[in-house]
Amino acid sequence: MKQLTTLGLSASLVLLAGLPVAAHHNGATYFDTSTTIEHSDATVVEYAIVNPHGRLFYTVVDDEGNEQEWSAELASANNLRRRGLGGEIFKPGDQLVSVTGNPSRSGANFMRLERAEFADGTVAAFSGPNRGITPGPGAQQ
Amino acid sequence: MLSLRVNLGQLWSPKSAAGVVAVIFALMAGPAAAQADFEGIWNPSHPRMMGQPDPSTVRLTPAGQAEFDSFTPDKDPTLRCLMPGIPLGLVDPYPIEIVQQEHQILILYEHFHQVRRVFMDGREAPDHWLPSFIGYSTGEWDGDTLVIRTTHMHPDNYMWTAGFPFSGDENTYVIERWWREGDVLRFTGEVHDPTYYEEPYVVNGVWNYAPDGEIWEYECIPEFGGIE
Repeated sequence: MKQLTTLGLSASLVLLAGLPVAAHHNGATYFDTSTTIEHSDATVVEYAIVNPHGRLFYTVVDDEGNEQEWSAELASANNLRRRGLGGEIFKPGDQLVSVTGNPSRSGANFMRLERAEFADGTVAAFSGPNRGITPGPGAQQ
Repeated sequence: MLSLRVNLGQLWSPKSAAGVVAVIFALMAGPAAAQADFEGIWNPSHPRMMGQPDPSTVRLTPAGQAEFDSFTPDKDPTLRCLMPGIPLGLVDPYPIEIVQQEHQILILYEHFHQVRRVFMDGREAPDHWLPSFIGYSTGEWDGDTLVIRTTHMHPDNYMWTAGFPFSGDENTYVIERWWREGDVLRFTGEVHDPTYYEEPYVVNGVWNYAPDGEIWEYECIPEFGGIE
């Protein structure tokens, strides 16, 4: 696994239009939906497509060179599959330019995933009207 | 179809008058079969916020407010892979299949493989019936509207995972009204829980007819409940 050297952690206030219509849970109960955090240069550990919620496990390296383990909650396996997000989107070792989502209210290294971007510009969006995979300019056809 | 267990020999005996009258009354009462066709698979198309009421309009009792204030995610049964049942599962973002039989209507949920039996033959919950997440449901037709009454619901359940509690005591019951508008099936559910709410908690659901729809398996792993 490539050792990453930077942890880009930025918080920005985002006014969200609301919760995803198809969410079973009230996300605001568990995540701070008024805030997004973004991790730069993340390395995928596992993409788990399970119920009741899928999970993206990844690592980032902070400014002191310490590797931090994070995970991001997804929709359920059944709903990921129905939205075309249930395939082998992320593989262990994949490098992600950015991982963005709402932080857990518990303070754990845990968020609700909104989007992830690969080095070739491909974007996997997990919320909003453009949910799905948008190939980037560098993606292999 | 009307189900009549009539001994023809009795009908034509000297004591047949009572039997004939019984048959006539049964025919006049009409069949117990469906008055509207809800059969098939339906995909969710629920209103915003899963058809839940605006939280600012919900009027909790002091006891309900205390429960609301103490809610933590680990109390959500579905995050522990327990079925949402009723009332939490009244609206879910997964397909359902409805099967109409003479004596009952089956609502088969993809979510947690829940099976609801809505008894349509006039029976009532037996004395030995224990509280459960799915409860005990009976139904009747009001014109083309199916009216379902559910009792015997589990006290460990929730109204909604924003923290709205559900007492599940002997005074709780749910009245649902389901009706079809073309290829759209709508319902509204009134949850009566006077211990925790000053007035019924009302949810709304919308389902789209999906003749090519599919009901998938819903396995569940508690470690992925997201309680962190």
